[in-house]
Amino acid sequence: MKVKILEWKSFATWHWDLATSADDSGYVEELCGICRVSFDGTCPNCKYPGDDCPIVLGSGCTHNFHLHCILKWLEQESSKGLCPMCRQIFTFKEPEQTSDVLINLKTLIDGHRVMRERFQQGNEQEFEAFGADQDLQMA
Amino acid sequence: MSRHPFHRRLLKEYQSLSQATLPGIKLVSNDENLTNFIFQIRIANHNLYPDYERYYLSINITQDYPVDCPQVKFIIYESVDDDKEDSDSIEIIEKSKIPIHPHIYSNGHICLNLLGEDWTPACSIESILLSIQSMLNTNDKLERPPDNDSYIKHAPLDPKRSRFVYHDDNV
Repeated sequence: MKVKILEWKSFATWHWDLATSADDSGYVEELCGICRVSFDGTCPNCKYPGDDCPIVLGSGCTHNFHLHCILKWLEQESSKGLCPMCRQIFTFKEPEQTSDVLINLKTLIDGHRVMRERFQQGNEQEFEAFGADQDLQMA
Repeated sequence: MSRHPFHRRLLKEYQSLSQATLPGIKLVSNDENLTNFIFQIRIANHNLYPDYERYYLSINITQDYPVDCPQVKFIIYESVDDDKEDSDSIEIIEKSKIPIHPHIYSNGHICLNLLGEDWTPACSIESILLSIQSMLNTNDKLERPPDNDSYIKHAPLDPKRSRFVYHDDNV
């Protein structure tokens, strides 16, 4: 019997390759901790999932977010540059190509670091000043 | 008002909250946009908070939620007792109370780090409810905050605009 193919339709599925879901048990749907939407979906402001609404992988901790969601959080001063899930300082794994938004993210994270360092230095100076006073009194 | 930008997240939170799986916590009302909620809290088996007492918590989701924490306060809720069969009888209006607690002011404002500087988008309406319930549950002091009188005189309407100092980790 000869079969002649008249027409064919192809299908494909995809999902983000996240370190935490790469076990043998198969695909587990994971949600962004900020918008509670699947990583394979989009942040609330985007319409199409995929490269236009990328995922950022945490490198200090194991928490991942939609890039746009974590940007929103780190733009807040109250975030102090911490991961929303575990309150450790948030850093991310840099992919090979860096986009403008990622540069933006990096600037934000660096900004928080500078703020933290300034705060710490301020504390030390106060402490030293206090120590100096003590010495004076002692003498 | 238009939909909240994080409507999908609010919808998920609402779905789990309306199933009433948290013991002692009941969703009393909410608006269509899922930005204003009233919850009823009951504390069981406690010396200071009798079983029949119901406390009402208002939670307002701000436009920047979940990056910004909601506005949360206890309110005096008037419920009309309509159990009476005789419709001519006078309606009994029951007023709820603001629970007495060293971190809850008599105007309903709550001094809780989760509602201020320790908020993160990983927190949720559920986590707020649970921490307030446990805050009441573990309390053994029948008193208001030490600065209650001076605070309520000048308190802003929105508790989020108050600058609380979190100093007491014991209660």
